[in-house]
Amino acid sequence: MFGSGAMTNSIAELEDSKCIFIIGSNTSEAHPLIANRILRAKAKGAKIIVADPRKIHIAFYADIHVRQNLGTDVALLNGIMNIIISKGWQAREYIEARTENYAVLQESVANYPPEKVSEITGVSVQDLNAIAEAYAKAPSASIVYAMGITQHTTGVDNVKSLANLAMLCGRVGAESCGVNPLRGQNNGQGACDMGALPNVYSGYQRVDDEEVGKKFDAAWGAQLSRKPGLTLMDMMHAIEEGQVRALYIMGENPVVSDPNRAHVESVLKKVEFLVVQDIFMTETAQYAQVILPGVSFAEKDGTFTNTERRVQRVRKAIEPVGNARPDWQIICSLSDMIGYPMNYNEAGEIQDEIKSVTPSYGGITYARLDGDGLQWPCPTSEHPGTKFLHKERFTRGRGLFSAIAFKPPAEASDNEFPLMLTTGRNFVHYHTGTLTRQSRSLDDEQKEGYAEINPLDAHKYGISKRDRIKVVSRRGAIEIKPEITGRVPEGILFIPFHFAEAAANALTIDALDPVAKIPEYKVCAVRIEKVA
Amino acid sequence: MYYECIPTTCTYCGCGCSVVLQVLDGHLVGVLPGKTNPVNEGSLCIKGWTSHEFVYREKRLKNPLVKKDGVFFETGWEEALDTVAGKLKKIKEESGADSIAALASAKCTNEENYLMQKLMRAAIGTNNIDHCARL
Amino acid sequence: MEALKNKVNELLESGGIAGFLGLRNFGSEPFPFLFTRDTAAEVEKITTGAVRYPLSKILIRIAAVYPDAIFGIMCRACDERAIIELFKNTKLRSDKVITIGISCTDDLVQACKCENPQPSNLVSGEAGKKEFDRSDVQKIASMTLEQRFDFWTEQLGKCIKCYGCRNICPVCFCDVCTLEDQPLVKRGEIPPELPSFHLTRAYHMAGRCVDCGLCEEACPVDIPLRTLYRRVRESVKELLDYLPGEERDKVPPIQVLGDGLFEIRD
Repeated sequence: MFGSGAMTNSIAELEDSKCIFIIGSNTSEAHPLIANRILRAKAKGAKIIVADPRKIHIAFYADIHVRQNLGTDVALLNGIMNIIISKGWQAREYIEARTENYAVLQESVANYPPEKVSEITGVSVQDLNAIAEAYAKAPSASIVYAMGITQHTTGVDNVKSLANLAMLCGRVGAESCGVNPLRGQNNGQGACDMGALPNVYSGYQRVDDEEVGKKFDAAWGAQLSRKPGLTLMDMMHAIEEGQVRALYIMGENPVVSDPNRAHVESVLKKVEFLVVQDIFMTETAQYAQVILPGVSFAEKDGTFTNTERRVQRVRKAIEPVGNARPDWQIICSLSDMIGYPMNYNEAGEIQDEIKSVTPSYGGITYARLDGDGLQWPCPTSEHPGTKFLHKERFTRGRGLFSAIAFKPPAEASDNEFPLMLTTGRNFVHYHTGTLTRQSRSLDDEQKEGYAEINPLDAHKYGISKRDRIKVVSRRGAIEIKPEITGRVPEGILFIPFHFAEAAANALTIDALDPVAKIPEYKVCAVRIEKVA
Repeated sequence: MYYECIPTTCTYCGCGCSVVLQVLDGHLVGVLPGKTNPVNEGSLCIKGWTSHEFVYREKRLKNPLVKKDGVFFETGWEEALDTVAGKLKKIKEESGADSIAALASAKCTNEENYLMQKLMRAAIGTNNIDHCARL
Repeated sequence: MEALKNKVNELLESGGIAGFLGLRNFGSEPFPFLFTRDTAAEVEKITTGAVRYPLSKILIRIAAVYPDAIFGIMCRACDERAIIELFKNTKLRSDKVITIGISCTDDLVQACKCENPQPSNLVSGEAGKKEFDRSDVQKIASMTLEQRFDFWTEQLGKCIKCYGCRNICPVCFCDVCTLEDQPLVKRGEIPPELPSFHLTRAYHMAGRCVDCGLCEEACPVDIPLRTLYRRVRESVKELLDYLPGEERDKVPPIQVLGDGLFEIRD
């Protein structure tokens, strides 16, 4: 790939793109203020392509909308590349000058002729051709994706396939182009950038690299471990095996957000010592031995990094509610008591330290963040920040093509579980609903969970809109209100995952992508029953 | 009598819109869209417009809680932090640093995520740190 | 700008006002702020510029907490029109509000479609003048019914139901909002039911909309809301001879319609 895990380009650049390919992103509902740029691009004449099994809001504004079968993105993308190469629409000079391993890609996509791909994906050959032509021939073209690409057992394969497609057409390192993942959370980008990952420090500096290790040993005055730690999913297994005895969770609600809820609950019951730091009593906090009350974004100073790598200020507007304390102060107090003093008078001093050990944040100070913020990489105090990445060269040198073979999802429908389930967001709510369901206006707008079901399926199972249905998978069962709508195709249910009492993740499968360890939330097999 | 507007960044999705918090006499009373921000240029979605509403809900946790015999009791910060620090130190002594793990948060600030990994890596001595970005 | 600062300082010092609601530079950007005697040092940071926030709507909130205080407010012509309607609807009291007029920047005057960019009590800047531009309304009027239907279906279909048009509107002051009435507009889906959501709001703008355009500025999907409400505004002028915000002494039509049995004569 190219060597960075962020939007290559900026949000505003989308507006001037001449072709936008949206795949696995319900942009209008999950990233509304990015959807508007796409609509503006359309008004300026851009071709909009949407590949999504559901007829999502943005699909009504698409020039081409295809509804691929769940979990067939690799085949779809290989098929598009097959057409591009066979028509000779690839960017030959770019491939020559800036990439490597092209022959391998060429050989692998040769196995995906349009007819075969149409068979796998359910997308017509005509539509495959139209997508290939629109994407390859436009003067500029952007790819926009989100969790619909990553939350699969083939999540990494999906992302690599998008990278292949973009490089094939020379769409990386140019204005209004790029491969643009939309982060689901306000600071998902920042949490990664800051090293809240088991294998890297801030700025993606590897813990198993001796040079890096020495630098942090010196900066932090400690002898640090060079052994990469456990990922979330591995932590769960280590708890079950008794290898991890204490878990400290800050601002997360894995009981609702993780796949296979019953499993997570049994793990949290098992762990000897659980500390949860949050602003509400979450489903996860119920299992804690100690709960530490943190504060909301309105009660503390700091920064968030958005999906286009823009670091922006968070400013304290009011005093903490009750005796709650800013999360950074809680961590400092704990560290002091453990015997490793942390002395920061204000959040800005932490940023000063981040800047000194993190090259990509090296030029970022609070003083410079007033106004528009700064987009990393911003290595020095004079650097203006970076609008789009990989302009002259890729972070890793040459862009690396990879051969990706299509693999079906972990679970397929069968006689016992004849329907497929996919999950996602609703425009009103956010993630596990910890915040949005506590907002009066949002709760009024959407009070309960629902399962979208195609009218043909509803008819087949004798379900009307006043019924309640039971949705059952191999992991669990929930009762839920049906929403009968053509937004979902026949054979597919959609359930938003915000509602703990009708938790989509009681049903989803915890089969993981082997590399990124992302669970396959977007595909599992279910059956439905009408509740008497 | 004091009214001011504090520009900050929305706490919901990854767009990073500028929300302007309206504060009247120390209370958060509403939100306005940041007009000059390059991301949202004066607009917000339904969540952004209501991003202040959960802040004062009665259900907010206002004091540390410690569980005794399966029931939570409110307690002071000293006691709660003592309990956590003491227990973590004890487990580290008995089973090693790698028997402790932490999840930081895609909802918290950069500074907090940075400190959380520093706490685990430098104070505890393990790289068992992750968050829910995959979810 | 100096004239404005002097005027604010003078009013605060004399006790003529308890506070002045205007824009203050926070770093390099302007945001609403209430200047009081306690924060008189901030008056230096007063700014005008092209950025507009719904100051009159903010004042409703502050005045509700301090009903006896007199406030000054930074007023462009559109703010003033809104305030006139707010007086008539008893959301603000005319004896408790002193308007201090500022001119719009030339860029803003040219970009904005407002009929009258000149506030009455101009303290800062020179009033801009230009021809009234209703080309947006004319363009829609020239379409066939079918074209018009397609145009609005496409535009309104973009709606992501942020409620920003209502939230930012200086004359949207109801305690209960019809847009949240479940039988009328199904909740929890986007786009909101077409066209009931947007036409409900358009009807409610009749006799109220002061053509400030903040709704269109706040719309995340660029729906030409202002054009829609201008058409409503023109209808009210034609049918009821009332132009909201411009008719200081006339009673708003909604207050004379009474039981709704009123009939419009040809």
